[in-house]
Amino acid sequence: MSNREQEYRELFMAEALEYYDAMGRHISELERNPADEQALRELFRLMHNLKSNARAMGYTSIGEVAHNMETVFGQLRDGQATFTGNLVPVLFGGIDTLGELIRAVGEEQEVPDVQRLLDNLDKLTRGEEPNLEDEEADDEEDVSRKLELSDLVYIQVRKLDHLMNLMGELIIDRDRILTLSREIDNPALTTAAAHFSRIAEELQYSVMDARLVGVGSLFSKFPRVVRDVATTEGKDVALTLQGEDIQIDRNILQIITDAMLHLVRNAIAHGLETPAEREAAGKPAQGQLILSAQAERDDVLVQVKDDGRGIDVASVRRKAVERGLVTRAAAAQLSEAAVRALLFEPGFSMAKEVTEISGRGVGLDVVKLAIDSLGGQLRVDSVLGQGTTFTLVLPTSIAVKGALLFELDNRSYALPLMHTDSVVSLMPDRFSVVGGVLLTRLQDENVPVVSLRELLHLEGDEPLAPARKSVLQGRQDIIIVNYNNRRLGLIVDRFLRQQDIVVKAMSKPLDIIDLFGGVTLLGSGQVCLVLDVPALTRLFLAKRP
Amino acid sequence: MPPTEKAAAPDPLIQLIIFRLGQEEYAVRIEQVKEVTLTPDIARMPKTPAFVKGIANLRGDIIAVIDLEERFQLREATEELAAHTYTMAIEAKDYTIGVVVREVPQPLSVPQSAIEQTPEFIQEANIHDKYIEGIARIGDRIIVVLDMLKLLTPSEIMQLPASAAS
Repeated sequence: MSNREQEYRELFMAEALEYYDAMGRHISELERNPADEQALRELFRLMHNLKSNARAMGYTSIGEVAHNMETVFGQLRDGQATFTGNLVPVLFGGIDTLGELIRAVGEEQEVPDVQRLLDNLDKLTRGEEPNLEDEEADDEEDVSRKLELSDLVYIQVRKLDHLMNLMGELIIDRDRILTLSREIDNPALTTAAAHFSRIAEELQYSVMDARLVGVGSLFSKFPRVVRDVATTEGKDVALTLQGEDIQIDRNILQIITDAMLHLVRNAIAHGLETPAEREAAGKPAQGQLILSAQAERDDVLVQVKDDGRGIDVASVRRKAVERGLVTRAAAAQLSEAAVRALLFEPGFSMAKEVTEISGRGVGLDVVKLAIDSLGGQLRVDSVLGQGTTFTLVLPTSIAVKGALLFELDNRSYALPLMHTDSVVSLMPDRFSVVGGVLLTRLQDENVPVVSLRELLHLEGDEPLAPARKSVLQGRQDIIIVNYNNRRLGLIVDRFLRQQDIVVKAMSKPLDIIDLFGGVTLLGSGQVCLVLDVPALTRLFLAKRP
Repeated sequence: MPPTEKAAAPDPLIQLIIFRLGQEEYAVRIEQVKEVTLTPDIARMPKTPAFVKGIANLRGDIIAVIDLEERFQLREATEELAAHTYTMAIEAKDYTIGVVVREVPQPLSVPQSAIEQTPEFIQEANIHDKYIEGIARIGDRIIVVLDMLKLLTPSEIMQLPASAAS
């Protein structure tokens, strides 16, 4: 049995046992007060849910029994029958049988025969008397009935969030204790600190693991969405889901939900052509849409891929110039990838027409912002006429991020590794000044470089002062960051080290400064600001001389 | 205090925390003060007004720390903040903010009637009267009672050059 099947079965069992317990409770209430409408409605609902779940899993006999029971409870609810006489033992017996069936599925045993129960329920539905002979024999078993507790625990995400926050604090303290133990240099303390550190790390991974859910829990919502959007748009779309069992933090999945919806709607409304257009282009009438997830080192790649018309780079280039996002001259210089990256700029929307579903004005920039907020990356690849692929590079877990620590004006700052391209140390002769901007040549590409100090201390609306080479003294430590296909070099005072950090959200009211993605506490107890690369890049573009 | 002839409403006592800014005494209601500590290590935060000293770690909470002397120009420009100061953690509407003070703040109970509302002379003072809840006269002491909730709104704290990049 595959992992996914195993997981689904465990979920089915957990829910089914819970339903079974609730059924037992409600039918006892019903016995005390046969007209209890609340209990009847609940029983009807529980039977209905159990039926659907069981049928989806292929457990026919549970499905059949639940279906017939549902019908009887439906009649009771609608006043077509009363909870009296021989109906009572049949329904009690039916719930017991459901319990046996569920247990049998859980233990992978032969399911008991239920034909007699089904017949009796059928008779009740038709208003006939059930056959209650030999019923006594069953009751013997009932006395020795086992009490079942589910192997799964439902837990509120809020509680997991709290655990995660505590975990973050613990990791900060762990770093602090490790630092202290190195300073104090006492063998016993060092051993204890090392042990503590190992346990804390294991605990951290366990807590992170407890928060992981299958990407399938989000993907499974899409068949319906695709069907609805395709109908409205007059498109014929086949949806394929891949990698549903890839695990990711539940809150990350929550945050990308809207982004995924947007990308899928976009793909159907604007990416895929109508059947007629497709046939005219020599493609099958039915368009393909693939949602896939795959694990790549510590990241999860989620892709939305269509085989539609693709992105017309020339058209994007033209539109970007129209919108004033780039100058005509600059646009002509941009590589195709760089042009496609323009799609994520605020206010850029390729939709030529307003459609009910995609609307106007909400562009890919919204998707981009959601991914940025997670410290992830959004990429787009496209071949004109063959289709478009959007790739979301997401961290598996939100709490811990790899970061590069550096020093500026005697304070430590952190930059998430997700947005760090490389670090270089360059002598002043490696720079040139073009149009007031410092440039250096790295891997055959001119990369603008800016003093992070100047960028951070800009006041109000003033632009950056034109760069001068003469102020560069000696070796310059530069961090090359990468955001939306744009590289930017930041001159810092000194590189410190690479470290996993726990990012805490910036506290109010300072959270309106978007240059900082949050703060982290270092082992020394010092507060360290975590820079937000997207905001820094935008600031540089807005303020460059 | 005049004798209460009507004896209708008894004069309730109000608990204040008194602190010095510049040469004057100021106060906040005790329920707005979460705690007072030695000022922790503060990380200066770019893109904030100068009176926002930065952010600090207060028992795991990251809070902004502000200097009201600088905010209201109650200190000579040349004078630096003392090396060792105290920080009062004050509960604003939905966050906590640290306020740096030079000396340990002191509690004081005053009768409600000792706090005068909206005095006129205050218009000339540095602190705009909208932040002032009242003036407490205790003997020859004059204590300005601040309305911290108004003083610590996000727009007050982030004033002028607020929104940075985007």
